[in-house]
Amino acid sequence: MSDKAANDAKTWFTPFNVISGTIIIIGIVITILRFTRGLGAVTNLSDNNPWGIWIGFDLLVGVALAAGGYVTSAAVYIFGMKKYHSAVRPAVLTGFLGYALVVVALNYDVGIPWRLPYPFIYQGTTSFLFEVAACVALYLTVLFLEFMPAPLEWLGLKKVRELAVKLTMVLTVLGVIISTLHQSSLGAIFLIAPSKLHPLWYSPYLPTFFFISSIIAGLSMVIFESTLSHHYFADKMDEVHIKENEGVTLGFGKAASLVLAGYFMIKIIGIAGGNNWNLLGTSYGLWFLVELLGFVALPSFLYAVGVRNKDLTLIKWTAVWTVLGVVINRLNVSLIAFNWQLPSSQRYFPSWMEIAISVFVVTVGIVVFRFIVTRMPVFYEHPDYKDKH
Amino acid sequence: MNKGKYLLGFVCILAVSIVFIYSTRILGSGQISDVSSRSRSDVIQIDKMTAFGRLEKPPVEFLHNAHTEALAKKKMDCTACHLTDNDRIFLKFKRIKDTDRIEVMNIYHKGCISCHGEMKAAGEKAGPVECDGCHKEKTLYSSSGQPMGFDKSLHFRHSEVQDKKCERCHHEYDEKAKKLFYAKGKEGTCRYCHQTETKDNLISMRLASHIACIDCHRKNLSKKIAAGPVNCLGCHDREAQQKIKKISPVPRMDMKQPDIALLKTAKKGSGVDTMSLNRMNFVPFDHKAHESYNDSCRICHHESLKPCNECHTLAGIKEGKEVNLEKAMHQVNTGRSCQGCHVLKQDDENCAGCHAFMGKTSRTEDELCLQCHMVPVSEKKKLLKPDDEKMLATAKLLSRTPVTGTYNENDIPEKVIIKNLSNKYEAVDFPHRKIINTLVSNIKDNKLAGYFHSQEGTICQGCHHNSPVSKKPPQCGNCHGKAFDEKNPLKPGIMGAYHLQCIGCHKEMDIKKPAGCTDCHKKIKDKM
Amino acid sequence: MSISRRKFLGWIGAAGIGSTVGKSALASGNKHFEGYPGSFGVLHDISRCVGCRSCEAACNKVNDLPVPDKAFTDISVLDEKRRTTSKAYTVVNRYDVAGKKEPVFRKNQCNHCLEPACASVCFVRAFKKTPTGAVTYDPNVCVGCRYCMIACPFEIPAYEYNKALEPRVMKCTMCYPRISKGQLPGCVEACPVEALTFGKREDLLMIARERIRKYPDRYINHIYGETEMGGTNWLYISGVAFSDIGMREDLGVTPAPELTSGALAAVPVVAGLWPVLLMGIYAISKRKESISQQEIEDAVRAVSDKADSELAQALAKARKEQEAAVRKEVRKALEEAARSRDKEDI
Repeated sequence: MSDKAANDAKTWFTPFNVISGTIIIIGIVITILRFTRGLGAVTNLSDNNPWGIWIGFDLLVGVALAAGGYVTSAAVYIFGMKKYHSAVRPAVLTGFLGYALVVVALNYDVGIPWRLPYPFIYQGTTSFLFEVAACVALYLTVLFLEFMPAPLEWLGLKKVRELAVKLTMVLTVLGVIISTLHQSSLGAIFLIAPSKLHPLWYSPYLPTFFFISSIIAGLSMVIFESTLSHHYFADKMDEVHIKENEGVTLGFGKAASLVLAGYFMIKIIGIAGGNNWNLLGTSYGLWFLVELLGFVALPSFLYAVGVRNKDLTLIKWTAVWTVLGVVINRLNVSLIAFNWQLPSSQRYFPSWMEIAISVFVVTVGIVVFRFIVTRMPVFYEHPDYKDKH
Repeated sequence: MNKGKYLLGFVCILAVSIVFIYSTRILGSGQISDVSSRSRSDVIQIDKMTAFGRLEKPPVEFLHNAHTEALAKKKMDCTACHLTDNDRIFLKFKRIKDTDRIEVMNIYHKGCISCHGEMKAAGEKAGPVECDGCHKEKTLYSSSGQPMGFDKSLHFRHSEVQDKKCERCHHEYDEKAKKLFYAKGKEGTCRYCHQTETKDNLISMRLASHIACIDCHRKNLSKKIAAGPVNCLGCHDREAQQKIKKISPVPRMDMKQPDIALLKTAKKGSGVDTMSLNRMNFVPFDHKAHESYNDSCRICHHESLKPCNECHTLAGIKEGKEVNLEKAMHQVNTGRSCQGCHVLKQDDENCAGCHAFMGKTSRTEDELCLQCHMVPVSEKKKLLKPDDEKMLATAKLLSRTPVTGTYNENDIPEKVIIKNLSNKYEAVDFPHRKIINTLVSNIKDNKLAGYFHSQEGTICQGCHHNSPVSKKPPQCGNCHGKAFDEKNPLKPGIMGAYHLQCIGCHKEMDIKKPAGCTDCHKKIKDKM
Repeated sequence: MSISRRKFLGWIGAAGIGSTVGKSALASGNKHFEGYPGSFGVLHDISRCVGCRSCEAACNKVNDLPVPDKAFTDISVLDEKRRTTSKAYTVVNRYDVAGKKEPVFRKNQCNHCLEPACASVCFVRAFKKTPTGAVTYDPNVCVGCRYCMIACPFEIPAYEYNKALEPRVMKCTMCYPRISKGQLPGCVEACPVEALTFGKREDLLMIARERIRKYPDRYINHIYGETEMGGTNWLYISGVAFSDIGMREDLGVTPAPELTSGALAAVPVVAGLWPVLLMGIYAISKRKESISQQEIEDAVRAVSDKADSELAQALAKARKEQEAAVRKEVRKALEEAARSRDKEDI
């Protein structure tokens, strides 16, 4: 490690550093604009479109894609699939960073960010946003504690680490409960607006849809993110991690295929429940079919084929496709099919600065992830704590 | 390898953004339904197969004129599609009767498709030959066809051309001989017998008129005699209808109808003591004048030419659909009853200014009833000869003064100064007398209005409502005060009352000036 | 790699709970809130409105809103359709309705729902339905999440996007400060034609019905706001179809809170059932693990026991053989000695 750091001094201008550095500088400039000039100066938000991509992408997509944490830890600790153990730490780390960034992004979006703790004082319990706020705050703490063993090992604090490890089971159960609640609550947010969300996407089952698709997102993200990590951080991985990776990909691929199939079925039930078959012929219906067939039915099938043929490449690409599908679903509900009744001149399209901030937040996430995995025992087991889980 | 992964990330981001842009832009608004509504007056829904049960495919939208025009170019006439027999043309497509499902279907399919096919083969513009081409789920056109009426003017023109040979059109049906015959003096309008639907061998109005009119027009045209239209547009197009020549005034039709009648409550010769059934005062009725007000006898005589009280008896009978005489004469929201028709006249611009606020009810003050019910039963009893009855009615009608009355010019205040908004504007000079004079002169040629406004104070009641008629009625502010009085929630406050009355009346009478606040309320010039 | 039956059953159970979240949305309370008794409202008689914008001017004045670019007397503003903004709590729009000679004007502002969506979704309870009927907003607790704007079916709340510090959600308050003092709302007081009538909601309904009864051909037989979204304190009657003047007729009669009450009711179900279920599944998989651990130990023990006894037998046998051999040798030696003694004796 130390000699690598010495090398870094010479090659400070790596492509990664240059690109991420530029993004971060632009991000900081827009951040200053945002907090000195107000939302109107940097966003395309309007009275008719109060939520833009900072909610649609940063919050909804961010939380969905950070589901890997609870899905993996539940599989390993609760369902007892010990063979996926090496996937837990990276997944928990991604989850933690994901949620942290969601909170960061929310600071940009809400009008008065320093009042973000207010919901806990003036509890508006009839609001699903209250539930989301409460759960995100709690879950962030849970994920932080769940990840604690890694930095503690890195710092060499053995006793505290022992305590943190003992908490694992309780934290996992807590994590699953909280995740179930807020993943579904994010969908339930839109239950209040049947007159604004297109009937193909609006359904009393929205919470269920969001919860189940978060499992899909979690499973696919673990596969996707492990693929990327294997490329960039292979030198940080120990033998066990590399050996188990194939099993993780196959196992999670199989699970994702099954959950996707189930998700497809309940989506159909959703259409039947609203008796919205006739809407499938409209342009929105076409787009809905693209989402349902192209990003739910197709990946379910591809995962199944991939697992059957042990075709890891196919599974990995399917994971990318599935993640994309979840992104599209969240954007559909929050932006594309939302306010569909408005004439096109009044519809929302993000400003470049909104996009830049979203990119900035993601970049910050990647940089921090990189910082952590190059230093702490995430992809490998700390030599002092072998066989201690 | 690194490059490859960058590429992968890039492709993903690109894909998401493309998808995002595409979807918001393309989907745009949900209400993109500006299908230009095309309307034609020759649209016919071919849904004849419904007679044989449920349709397997959507009905066909058929543009009749498009076909007659196409055929005319090929020097073909109606007989290309319609069968004829003894110069009589059958309205159904290539058949006389609807026989059975398969046969009718085949007639249509063979008839339409073969012709379209031949024209296509000849390289001409032709209609569709495939199923969906004709049987479309969505209708493309809306029908703008107007119902065609045979008004007095048209009737006169026809009878003149036919040398008053009524039998050319008018007929009765002999049940025993099972054939049509002409009964002199019993002519009625077509619709008295020919209803909207065909019943047994009594064909529908639609069928009857198309057969009678088109056949005759066609024959005359073929003999190079000027005749009426034979295509859809000629009769049913709004513009074409307006071009039909009108005779004015139309000479009175001679059906031995009365000039003046005394409307009584009990019908003649009903056996019982008819006089004891007559409770209400009789109404002298100027039949001749009303003939000139209306386009057709059918406006009042909607089912037959019989006197009203034959079907509409005091208590109502089956023949009159249980509508009793009171209703038949006073029902509002219909043009058939006396009062209903008179109330409809209140929608006229010259009347609506006041009457729009009064609501449309048949209930009026008792003394107003006597305006029509002029002849007390006792007076009638004194009569000896039937002719005296007519004389009595005529005398009563002549005694009427159909002239709007007003108070002496000097008794009408010339101006009223309204100071209610003096904190914001100068006081309003309300030209009180000028307004009354305008209202009076607006209706001076209107006999109906004149008769009902002949009392001096009546015209004042348009504004000075809800108080008895008097030369010095209460002023607006005497009743209207503060707005939203909980005890009397229906009464507007003074500002509301003024504005509602003034602006409302101007709107109803379509008076463009004054407009905006300052045309009435002058701005306060200098506020020192 | 097969899934054990127990594990499978556990999963099925878990899936079952998940599916109840959506379903229980149907099971909501049977109580219907009909508004605070005696609460106030405003009846907007659209057929009376002349589009003079006096209400807009009055609203601007009594609420101390910024002066607009175009004066309120400028009627050209009506040429485009406007919505409420952070600078205008109320706007009048003109609609040219097919078949009507004169244009129709409609005033738009907060409808003050009996059960407001904005209040139901606010996570800091900034919105409040007061017993006066007015829905009020407290800018001192608002975080600025703008969920109220998402939720409002009438698209009323607006936001001060261009304020960096403490931006507020802006909407009509039914002049709450004024009506609390017994005054009329600004717009109502200013309306020259009483197109706006202020009063108790039940009285307004009565007035509206009376007008419709008296002038059946001047009004559509519907009071907008009587049942829309569970009812609103602002009511409308009109001479033209409400959909022709930009008012949504597809909102339904369900009050906003009922849209989420079912899903909210599922929260304690999840919070209560999940831990029990998950611990159960954990216990099953843990037990399964420990059982297999036990079995391994048993097997090892069994094997080693067998080995031990065999070894002992072998040892015993060896010892016996050894002893026998010794004995044999001893006997042999003795016999030899005896024989040699015998030889010596001869």
